[in-house]
Amino acid sequence: MFSEVLKWCVNITTFAAAFRLSAPLIIGAIGGCFNESTSTGNIAYECFMLTGAFFGAYGSFLFGSPYYGSLAAMVSGLVLAGIYGLLVFEFNCNAMIVSIAYNSGAWALTTLLLTSIWGVRGIYVDPKIVSYPNITISAFENNHVLDVLFNGNIILVYLAYVIAIIGYIVMYKTPFGLRLRGVGINPEASQAAGVNVHRYRWICLLIMGVFMGLAGSYMPLSGLSMFAENMTVGRGFLVLTAILVGRSNPIKVTLVALLFAYSISLTLVLSTYGIPTQLMSMLPYLMVLIVLLSAGLRSFKGTADLSA
Amino acid sequence: MKEKINQVGRVINKIFNPEVKISAIRYVFSFIGVMIVGAVLIAAQGEDPIYAVKAIIKGAFGSMTALGNTIRWATPSFLTAAAALVAFKSGVVNLGIEGQMYVGALTAAIIGYSLDLPNGVHQVVCILLAGIAGILWVIPSALMRLFFNINEFITTMMLNFVATLLADFIVLWIIIPQTGETTTTIRTPSILDSAKLPNLIKGTSSSYGFFIGLLVLLIIYVIFKFTIKGYELKQVGENLRFGKVGGVNIIKTFLSIFIISGFISGIAGGVEVTGGYNRYISRFSATMGWEGIMIARIAAQNPIAIVVVSLVWGALKTGAMSMERVTSLNRLTVNLLQMLFVLFIAIDYEGIYTSIKNRIMKKKEVKRLMHEQESTQQS
Repeated sequence: MFSEVLKWCVNITTFAAAFRLSAPLIIGAIGGCFNESTSTGNIAYECFMLTGAFFGAYGSFLFGSPYYGSLAAMVSGLVLAGIYGLLVFEFNCNAMIVSIAYNSGAWALTTLLLTSIWGVRGIYVDPKIVSYPNITISAFENNHVLDVLFNGNIILVYLAYVIAIIGYIVMYKTPFGLRLRGVGINPEASQAAGVNVHRYRWICLLIMGVFMGLAGSYMPLSGLSMFAENMTVGRGFLVLTAILVGRSNPIKVTLVALLFAYSISLTLVLSTYGIPTQLMSMLPYLMVLIVLLSAGLRSFKGTADLSA
Repeated sequence: MKEKINQVGRVINKIFNPEVKISAIRYVFSFIGVMIVGAVLIAAQGEDPIYAVKAIIKGAFGSMTALGNTIRWATPSFLTAAAALVAFKSGVVNLGIEGQMYVGALTAAIIGYSLDLPNGVHQVVCILLAGIAGILWVIPSALMRLFFNINEFITTMMLNFVATLLADFIVLWIIIPQTGETTTTIRTPSILDSAKLPNLIKGTSSSYGFFIGLLVLLIIYVIFKFTIKGYELKQVGENLRFGKVGGVNIIKTFLSIFIISGFISGIAGGVEVTGGYNRYISRFSATMGWEGIMIARIAAQNPIAIVVVSLVWGALKTGAMSMERVTSLNRLTVNLLQMLFVLFIAIDYEGIYTSIKNRIMKKKEVKRLMHEQESTQQS
């Protein structure tokens, strides 16, 4: 049995599934990198993703095209991020409380919309929710490995990696990215240097909203053509985890997201073999603790201390 | 006579000091806001808002059973809000209440079904050990904060997920094979009768856990209001440097905040098992831990206000369920309105008011200056 399990671990279909499943995590996490590196205090990723998933399905249902679905999802993310920014930046709300209320409210909001628009509880399946078509790249078709790995995915999967590269370039190779990171590291110094901290935080928050919406729209439009209550099942938190482990560096975050996706696909595969998948699902969250700890070890002074 | 009037005036001023006024305005504003949004939401679903509100009130207080259910759902809110209050008042961001609850609940469930103790002792053992399990779950975060300066909000939140998954693992892979129970859901066997908290109102799952919740809140109130320790705890949260200079043992105090908060969260889980579900069920809490944080926030971190808000929260929960039965409305409507209320409460009305006032003052000032300039130019 052990050898069989091991075979599944390195099986090419497992990797292919990981490649596919990583898309929403990567898209969301890249947007979140901007948000996290300007320290807007937002942890409501689950909310943005879930509403994105709903509006992705609804947009596709209304206009009969997955592209409009994604657009609707992005707009919903933008609106939610706008409200969040209004509350936190303009009305001085506590970011933590707003995030918690957002996360708790998202499930109620999407389910309410589900029942009032389609009149069902639980799951709504309809071919009218048009999914993205699968893309086949003819160059990969000759090679079996490449064919299985990279072919037959929807456009968002490829887009995710493009976004990751663009995100890296914007963040580390442009003046905008430099200022943005400066805002996160030391807001006062950035303000003194003439950077409008307020505006940078707003921009990054809105970027996050758009990207999380797009990431959410992956789920209903990736061939399932459905929307289910609480469809994201904690993927939003996984996005946050990936950002924290990757320390909001787009490339590192992408790799971490890929690793998480691999562990998700492994849990899917291995659950039939009677292996405790719960332990494997724990991996992302334990990794955050390990990464934080390894970073914290450097600043360890040997005694307990509290800095104000 | 004049003195007496002055005295009365002083008392009135004391009651209606600016702080109270502002929080009263805050509540009124939020309430009106939620009412308007709620009416629109309910009307949009094609129902009469007043009828829906009536259904909620009737479902929450209409009968003895309804009252029992309200109490049952208020009980966990008491405890989780108390845990959040202790942490947040002292400047510790404990987002792991949910996870500590799960660990406590599982401990209580295991003790409850496996040990055979006399009635009266069993419940106490269950709940205390649940609290200790909660402490054990929060200690790593505390140590990481103290020794490595790692923000506790991330570590506690991550330990939430670890707790739920670990509890699932223990139940599914250790307890279920051992007891040979055949279930479709992930859950432990039912706890023994000696471990069950007695019912408060017959026929409902309201239990004496209600009084445990009240007791915990009372103790917290007394500690923060009347003891030096409470003052020290508050000091650490409000002004760490001042506390340090003032001779507070910061490290010890900080650790004790974590321990108290974890203990109360664990108790919350224990009470849920011994008084509510009578067994550990996978992911039973849904969002109770998070709700605790929100309730503590709505109640402005005042233990007495927490009692009121929790009762309202429980009433809304039960009321919403019965509203769903008599109307075509979804009970999540109420859920959404609760979240909106939290958002409305969080708004800093005073800050907005002062900033608007400042802007108007500035405009007036500019106008006055321009006017003066003109008049000097003319002359």
